[in-house]
Amino acid sequence: MEALTGWWDDFFWGSKVVAEVFIASLGLTILFGLIGAAAKLSNSKIAKKLAAAYTVIFRGTPEILVILLFYFGLAITITSIAKIFDPTVKFIDIPPFWSGTFAISLIVGSYATETFRGAFLGVNQGSIEAAKALGMSQLQLFIYIRIPEMWRIALPPFGNHMLSLVKDTALISVIGLNETLFVAKQAITVTGKPFTMYIFVGIIYLGFSSIITLTVIAVERYGKRTTTVK
Amino acid sequence: MNNIVRKFSLVLLSSFLSATFLFAETLRVGMECTYAPFNYKNSSGELLGYDVDVAKGVSRITGYDIEFVCQEWDGMIPALLANKFDLIIASMSITEKRMKSIDFSSPYRFSTGQIVGPKKKKMNLFNSNGEPIPNNFNGIKVGLERATTYSDWFETVLPGADVKLYDNNESLYLDLQNGRVDVIMTNPMKAYLKFLSKSEGSRFEFKSPVIDEEKFFGIGVGIGMRKGQADLKNKLNNALKYLINTGELETYAKKIFPFKLHQDSWGS
Amino acid sequence: MNIDLNLIVESIPEMLSGFGTTLYLLIISGFLGLLLAILLLLMRISGKFYLDFPAQIYIYIFRGTPILVQIFIIYYGLPQFEYIQDSMFWIILREPTGCAILALTLNTGAYVSEILRGGVLAVNRGLIEAGSALGMNARHRFIYITTPIAIRIALPSYSNDVVSLLKSTALASTITITDMTGIARTIVSKTYAPYEIFVSLAIVYMICTFIIQKFFGFIENKMSNYTKIDSDNDK
Repeated sequence: MEALTGWWDDFFWGSKVVAEVFIASLGLTILFGLIGAAAKLSNSKIAKKLAAAYTVIFRGTPEILVILLFYFGLAITITSIAKIFDPTVKFIDIPPFWSGTFAISLIVGSYATETFRGAFLGVNQGSIEAAKALGMSQLQLFIYIRIPEMWRIALPPFGNHMLSLVKDTALISVIGLNETLFVAKQAITVTGKPFTMYIFVGIIYLGFSSIITLTVIAVERYGKRTTTVK
Repeated sequence: MNNIVRKFSLVLLSSFLSATFLFAETLRVGMECTYAPFNYKNSSGELLGYDVDVAKGVSRITGYDIEFVCQEWDGMIPALLANKFDLIIASMSITEKRMKSIDFSSPYRFSTGQIVGPKKKKMNLFNSNGEPIPNNFNGIKVGLERATTYSDWFETVLPGADVKLYDNNESLYLDLQNGRVDVIMTNPMKAYLKFLSKSEGSRFEFKSPVIDEEKFFGIGVGIGMRKGQADLKNKLNNALKYLINTGELETYAKKIFPFKLHQDSWGS
Repeated sequence: MNIDLNLIVESIPEMLSGFGTTLYLLIISGFLGLLLAILLLLMRISGKFYLDFPAQIYIYIFRGTPILVQIFIIYYGLPQFEYIQDSMFWIILREPTGCAILALTLNTGAYVSEILRGGVLAVNRGLIEAGSALGMNARHRFIYITTPIAIRIALPSYSNDVVSLLKSTALASTITITDMTGIARTIVSKTYAPYEIFVSLAIVYMICTFIIQKFFGFIENKMSNYTKIDSDNDK
């Protein structure tokens, strides 16, 4: 394990990047999932079709392909769009952190759309009717009834989505993001010890997964705190 | 006599360059970051190597600030074209094929290829004229990096060869050592320095003469940039000439090798 | 933004030549992974600690690490040890295809075993109790009652995992395998047209996913025949 000496701090910074990508993509995933679920549950035919296309495209395409495509293509697309509004724009470049984060958020977001949709549909009809009978507005209904019940139902599958997010971060190393797998490749160039380095990366990711799983269990327990065990 | 002429043109050059030293625009430089000893990171996270030194030297002389961007080799040119960075200083050879899509500066390093294989296996791959014998390549697995001059050479000269394409240089050496490929073709300078002269490489040797056909390897490696930037190209070429003529380029090479990696004639 | 349609048309046949490799990886890893998953499942529900615990550890490790890392460890990492090269495993590990199948199998085995376990646990207790009331022993109950119902319950999740497996085969391109993604990356590195090539590749994968989903939908339909209300008979 002496091969690792000198590389500890690099792996630490790499892990920090993994954490940053996770937090950024978590927010975006929840956003995309909610928008997608709302679109699928709405009455608008167009929204439903768009959401269906969204889920089909991003659930059917390999993550690595989406990441590569976004890295090369996103900047070109966004620049073209920006040029419509502001012709003096020369170029907008998107660093690998954001193209990668955006890519994996869209992918996991398409799975989250299905999860959230199922969760919203699983909200107790009786509670909704009672809320309406009590004269709650749509917004109050949403905040006090739908969301609390929905996230409890969605949590176990969403925990899996969070695990996918963390693991997909390793794929972003392909476009040069300086997270742990990329650090490992650099370390191998200098030390020539691939097994040691890759196992170490595996251990780091295992650590992240464990933290997420334990957090999900704790949050589940918090969510159940007012229910009696059947 | 030649020396005086050279010193005089140097003075002219430096005054010309200092006149253009006005802005501190940032240029992003793309490189593999996993290609020792030309561009790689050490354990402290510092980027080191011949290409890195060239980049820093050019930056200092032209007045541009530089930022390094790491990029896998097979995406190097697409990334440049997609504007991920502005320059490629990654030991990229100046070849006709590449010049169709991008521009290059004048060369700053030799570009050659050589085949490395195990000492134990007797291979008679080249005849006395330095030409490859295609039949003797049968049954030999060849490891090459994708989108390199070496893979181009093999595709054109030995299209029937059993080739495996790798994403980066290090994987090439790893698989050669563990026997997944029988031979690799790669940069001989690096092969000697980082491999053959060390214990890992003691079981291996060169299996071919140095191959430097200009058609595949160009006149050398240069700085890659997008087309249509004649001004930038001039500045870079002048900076490189300065580095060559003042001997600074040689010091970069001597940090790693006991010889210089360029031709003095490139300085004029 | 000009899109070179010619390039797309020219490269699709070349990429499809990798389809055989992709399919090969998918089917072999899927099949072996299923066998592994059944083994792990039996270990998990055996009730015996010395079987359950190792299975749990295995599943924890393989679901908690990225598959790309698993592929690299097996392909690049293992040969670091000289004795691996001399052992009998080298026949498999020498070839990148062998390494890819190994990694994909180990990975999908972990996921599918959990899916199967979810199916088994969801079988209605009443049906199992009915079985024991009829005098079936544990083994018979498992084979004739639990298994068919569990398969039907687990099928949707399993089809999702098969789609994931298909997408994971794309990662085999990182260890020199010339599957569809590997060929696409080589074409991109020569033509410098990532947009066109990768978009066409994505479309090919989406079509494959669609076929897989339709296939499993068909099987689900066939299996659920007896649970459907047969309105024709209610005359």
